[in-house]
Amino acid sequence: MSHNTDEVPHVAVDPRLLEVLVCPLTKGPLHYDRAANELVSRAAGLAYPIRDGIPIMLAEDARVLDAP
Amino acid sequence: MSDSLIFDRRAVRRHRDRAAATVETVADILADTAGRLLDRLDDTTRIFTRALDVGGRGIVSPLLRARGIETFACDLSPRMAARAGAPAVAADEEFLPFAPHSFDLVVANLSLHWVNDLPGALIQLRHALRPDGLLLASLPALGTLAELRTALTEAEADMSGGAAPRVSPFPDLRDCAALLQRAGFALPVADVEDIKLLYADPLRLLRDLRAAGEANAVALRDRRPPPSALFAHALASMPQQDGRTVATLRLAIMTGWAPGPDQPQPLQPGTAKHSLADALTRPDQDAAI
Repeated sequence: MSHNTDEVPHVAVDPRLLEVLVCPLTKGPLHYDRAANELVSRAAGLAYPIRDGIPIMLAEDARVLDAP
Repeated sequence: MSDSLIFDRRAVRRHRDRAAATVETVADILADTAGRLLDRLDDTTRIFTRALDVGGRGIVSPLLRARGIETFACDLSPRMAARAGAPAVAADEEFLPFAPHSFDLVVANLSLHWVNDLPGALIQLRHALRPDGLLLASLPALGTLAELRTALTEAEADMSGGAAPRVSPFPDLRDCAALLQRAGFALPVADVEDIKLLYADPLRLLRDLRAAGEANAVALRDRRPPPSALFAHALASMPQQDGRTVATLRLAIMTGWAPGPDQPQPLQPGTAKHSLADALTRPDQDAAI
C-alpha cells in the first residue's frame, strides 16, 4: 500500500468501527494511524490496512511492523 | 497450516470475492432464508439496538437496518463485506476482531458452514455479545444437496471407479444445538426447515451455488478438472418433480443467548419444594407444582 496520502484521498473509515474493533489475534487495542490509514496492533506487531473505508482485519493482509 | 483442516479458507475467500459480483442473481434464495431467520426476532419482545451481520452478502444488513437496528457487517472477503454498506470490515470468523460486549444481536445467514473451527467461532461471537444478547444463525444441515451428492458420487464411481468429495460435509441438526451449548450459549435451540429448490435446467443449480460463493472449498477436494461428462451424467440422474430437478436446502436455524443475570436459571440440586415420589404415588391428583 502507498503511504502517500496526497494523490488519492482515503475513503474515511466509519468512526463507529474504531469503537468496536480489536486485534483479531491478541484481542488487544488498536491504534488508528490516520496518515498511513492503518489500524496498528503493537502487541501482534501488525498493521491492518484500511481499503475503501473497509478495515481488512486479516493477518495475511497485514503489514509486519519493524522491530522497535 | 495443519493437514487436518477440512476447509481451504483461502479458497473460501476467493470464492466469496468472485461471488461479490454475481450474488445478486441468487438474492431471492438468500433473502428467503434471511427472512426466515429474522422472523425469529418477532418471537421476542426484546428491542435490539446494535447488530453484527456475519457474512450476510449484502442481503442481511439492509433488512436489519430496515428494522431500525444499527448494523455492522463482516465478511472474509473484503469485496463481499463492501456490499453490506458501512460500517463493514473484512474479518475471519475464526479470528474475529470485535471487542467484548459490542453487540446485542449477531445474525449469520448461511455463512458459518465453511468455518473449520465452528465452536471457536461461536465462542468468539458469544464474547462479542452483551449479556442477554441473541445469536441467530442459519446453516445448511446434513441432507442439504443430498440429491446432488448422491448423483455425483454414483456418476463418478460409474465413470472412474472412485469418488472425490464434491459437496461440503454439513453438520447434523443434533450437532447444532450441542454446538451452541458447548460454546456457552444459554437456552440453545436448533430446528430445521426443508426448502425445495426446483430447477428446469439443473445446470442452473451449479451456477447458483457458484454465484453465491458456494463452490467446493473442501481442502481434500480433487483439484483436477472433473471429467467433462461427470456433471452432465450426474445432473441427469437427479430426482425430478413435475419435470424439474429437485435440490433440497435443509436449513438449520440456531438461536442462543449470551448468558445474562435475568435469564431463567436451573435450581440448585436439593432445593425442590415438592417430592417427585409423592407426585408419582398420587396419580389421580393433578400435580400442583
